[in-house]
Amino acid sequence: MSSSCYITFPTTFFAIRAESLLKKTGLTFKMVPVPRSISSSCGTALQCPCEDLAEIKALLEENSLELESFYRLEEEGIKKPLVTELEL
Amino acid sequence: MNEALNLYFDNAATSWPKPEAVYDAPGRQMRQAAGNPGRSGHTRTLEADRLLYKARETLAALINAPDPGRIVFALNATDALNIAIKGLLETGDHVLFTAMEHNSVLRPLGRLRQDGLISTTMIPCAKTGQPDLDYLESAYRENTRLLIVNHASNVTGSIAPLDRLIASAHGRKVIVLVDAAQTAGAIPIDVQGLNIDMLAFTGHKGLLGPTGTGGLYVRKGLDLKPLREGGTGSQSESDIHPLSMPERLEAGTLNSAGLAGLLEGVNYIQARGIESIQQEEQELRSYLWERLVELPGISLYGPHGGEAAVSVVSFTVGGADCGEIGHVLESAYGILTRTGLHCAPHAHQTIGTLPEGTVRLSPGPFTRKVDVDHLINALQEITGLMSG
Repeated sequence: MSSSCYITFPTTFFAIRAESLLKKTGLTFKMVPVPRSISSSCGTALQCPCEDLAEIKALLEENSLELESFYRLEEEGIKKPLVTELEL
Repeated sequence: MNEALNLYFDNAATSWPKPEAVYDAPGRQMRQAAGNPGRSGHTRTLEADRLLYKARETLAALINAPDPGRIVFALNATDALNIAIKGLLETGDHVLFTAMEHNSVLRPLGRLRQDGLISTTMIPCAKTGQPDLDYLESAYRENTRLLIVNHASNVTGSIAPLDRLIASAHGRKVIVLVDAAQTAGAIPIDVQGLNIDMLAFTGHKGLLGPTGTGGLYVRKGLDLKPLREGGTGSQSESDIHPLSMPERLEAGTLNSAGLAGLLEGVNYIQARGIESIQQEEQELRSYLWERLVELPGISLYGPHGGEAAVSVVSFTVGGADCGEIGHVLESAYGILTRTGLHCAPHAHQTIGTLPEGTVRLSPGPFTRKVDVDHLINALQEITGLMSG
């Protein structure tokens, strides 16, 4: 079983702004389509290792980014992942 | 290139030629990154999203906007002005505008006034195009909400004293909307330094981009009602359009192909240096003015050669129909100009050329001194024939 964390954004603008800011750091992250298990909203989410989530969140908020929600997904094979919304 | 084709003196209508990269970028965008920006989340969509972000960031840097999220894309300056005017004004508001405004300002205001929603006052300008600041001071009312200023006249090239106008308006808590149709890409603009509340620009003139591109800068803290609502790809479960900028004021699929071209236009301007472009155009305008003055029977309008102006000169030749002069310039010499009223009737009233209008010459960043010489030779022949 593996787990990774996701940040969703109110609009695409903030998703791409997050990507643009994080590219300048050494942090590991990936822009991915919002997993259907999280939301039916079409769009892009940021996927990162859960241990980096707090640091990434702090950096984005320092730059006045609007963030929507935070999730941890635990995935095992092709089974539906276990989704936990995180209160940060 | 055909020599005659280079004699294009109509850059104030739309700039030509464009940098090569501007022609190539829209095709590349459609071939290689044709995802719908903001929608699907797959790689082509992400590429389109990144392009739009880069374009916002680059435009924000050009006008010194603090945040790329405050740059909203629009079809052109007219569209941006409509978004600003109709998104801000409420019933009962009073609006000030200068006599140099274009129909892109006059007509949205005219509609709202005709519908009984707002009242307006026009600030007269001197023949040089400079607004009457004393008149402005006496024109404020308790319900004055907005002052609209054409940064530079598309008829005379005169540049409005933004610092003084904005200081005056802000002293009365009046919001300022600047129409930068003729100045974006042609002269440096610092929206933070000048405290500009809203700035409307087009992509296809000084910014050297394709038609169908432009935008509006809206300062932080100023929340406009969206003129259009619809798909944004975000918050799709809600029936209410997102309030977050820039999507707040954008709806439907954006012109990513055109904006790819606009980005290249701005990149070109940044690489060449906007100060250099401004200086070269200013010198060419002065040269043009000095050569025109020598012609018999000619009347010139706006700031004299050597005075600060954007790259526009208007003239008439005593008694001659300006449309006819424009026609002869094109048919006999391959020189392209624009004649008539230039969608700015009050500006022509101000300089005394209503209803006939003028012949307008607008060199651009690729116009050469030798092109001006060709133009002058042609005008010498035309005016010689007329006076002979």
